[in-house]
Amino acid sequence: MSAPTTAATGVDPVVLAFLHREARLADEARYSEWEQLWDDDARYWVPMSEDADPDRDLSYIYDNRRRLKSRVAQLNTGSRHSQTPPSKMRRLLSNTELLARDADTVTVGSNFVLYEYRYGMTIWAGRVIHRIVLDPERGPRLREKTVHLVNAGDPLPTLAFLL
Amino acid sequence: MTELQTRPAPRTGVRDLVRPDRVHGSVYTDPEVFELELQRIYAEGWVFVAHDSEVPEPGDYVTRRIGRDPVIVTRSRNGEVHVLANRCAHRGNRLCNAERGNSTTFRCPYHGWTFKNDGALVGIPMRNGYSEEILAKRSELGLSPLPRVERYRGFVFASLAGEGISLREHLGAATGAIDRLLALSPSGTLDLRAGWMKHKHFSNWKMVIENNVDGYHALFTHQSVYEAVREAKVSHVPSKVEVYVRDLGNGHSEIDYLPEYSRLDEEFVWFGRAPRTKLPHYVAAMEEAYGAEATHRAFVVGPPHTMIFPNLFLAEMNIMYVEPIGPGETVAYTTPALIPGMSEMNSRMLRRTEGAMGPAGFLIADDGEIGARNQLGLASRSPEWILLARGLHTDERDETGTVNHDKSSETPQRGLWHHWASVLNGQDETAGA
Repeated sequence: MSAPTTAATGVDPVVLAFLHREARLADEARYSEWEQLWDDDARYWVPMSEDADPDRDLSYIYDNRRRLKSRVAQLNTGSRHSQTPPSKMRRLLSNTELLARDADTVTVGSNFVLYEYRYGMTIWAGRVIHRIVLDPERGPRLREKTVHLVNAGDPLPTLAFLL
Repeated sequence: MTELQTRPAPRTGVRDLVRPDRVHGSVYTDPEVFELELQRIYAEGWVFVAHDSEVPEPGDYVTRRIGRDPVIVTRSRNGEVHVLANRCAHRGNRLCNAERGNSTTFRCPYHGWTFKNDGALVGIPMRNGYSEEILAKRSELGLSPLPRVERYRGFVFASLAGEGISLREHLGAATGAIDRLLALSPSGTLDLRAGWMKHKHFSNWKMVIENNVDGYHALFTHQSVYEAVREAKVSHVPSKVEVYVRDLGNGHSEIDYLPEYSRLDEEFVWFGRAPRTKLPHYVAAMEEAYGAEATHRAFVVGPPHTMIFPNLFLAEMNIMYVEPIGPGETVAYTTPALIPGMSEMNSRMLRRTEGAMGPAGFLIADDGEIGARNQLGLASRSPEWILLARGLHTDERDETGTVNHDKSSETPQRGLWHHWASVLNGQDETAGA
């Protein structure tokens, strides 16, 4: 990458800006715009434990590109009752670090806190790992998003919004 | 005042809360009713607690709750399954704090008392501090085994009461639903080790189980799925399909797709209409085990959609159980009914369970939301009664129970409530329904 990197984290500002945009679109229930951030090859994964293997273990969410499209389409109907009206949400992304990079992707890990207001306030927290394709023509695209909730082992309230 | 003193005194019955075509709204909200349920249903009755496959090897254990009581389900060295109170017999510490694992003993970190996984007390540190009289009674100081533990084809049920009807009497016609599920497994067994999704519902536990066998709500509650994602496997418009609802007796009930699937005579309608060519290993194993004809029949008939009172739901190729937390809070646990060794089926099943079930599922997230709003609505005291009259005039009795050929009939709910009232009123369980 020719763009300057922030010395403290090693994460390209373009990547950080992409993460923040993704967070804002999810917070604001801008489903279709959020979907457009994704690559054609996609995995949106919310495991039930840190050491889970999705081929063997059940996950809360394990969406490929096709299922991601369905998820967004369902939210867009306006009759996805668990998000009608959409929860009011704001999330903070922090402690972002570069975890890996190869020829065309970077993988970054962050901590997050998400405040969801629906009938009351629910606080979600965890670690989120983004794998982002850096396409010089199309710009950054999300290939993988993995969310390790700190309370993944506990009964979770309904989670129909975009985590 | 202590918590014990402020807890409401249990009711002794619910004689005025259930009528043939309606139930009183307070059955979902009244803390006294909830306390009575924990006693009569969850302490005195049979409750699903675990599946054999979750503790396959000696030393394996899982921890569960029956009502409020924490228990450990273990497999001891002789292969026997034990359900033990998860409470140190000395001073009451919750002994085992992992969800699952393998251990031949459990040692309490408080004073070091140690118990074998069959419950026997095997170690008391500094034992000479006890009199000979106490030490002579060591064998009585083990972990309390649940008074009754019985199994039906791998499903382990337990009761906190020493006396009562047998599991077979309790299950009655519901054994047919378990058989129907196991007819889809070449080995006649399941593997429930993919992990349980845990979903917190802000509604009464009975609302969750009633909804599981409600053939009326899908068109509305799940409209977004059929509109945006895919057509329902068969129509949810009752007049267009031969899908029945049934009260099986003893509080068990189901939505039965069998007549419709038989009419279509098409395989795997219940499994995304997957063609046989995608499942060659499974098809071969089934034909080897049961022969071509029975295999075709099993593939057409498909799995059950049956609620086994009070807490086990055979949700087609998923298993769900519910845990009552409070009058307005319930946890639902869901896992796919994996078929041992059948990876073609199992990898699909994992993804199907994630798609439909749990807190982010395309279906159940909306059931959770509707349940929460139901609980909020019930805060209103008017009207007093909840109407469950749909299809009452067209219910038919036959050898399978009380059947209605309109899937949107509230026949399952009426059966559930009839039984519920008889249990809470302390009547003979088998006399119900």
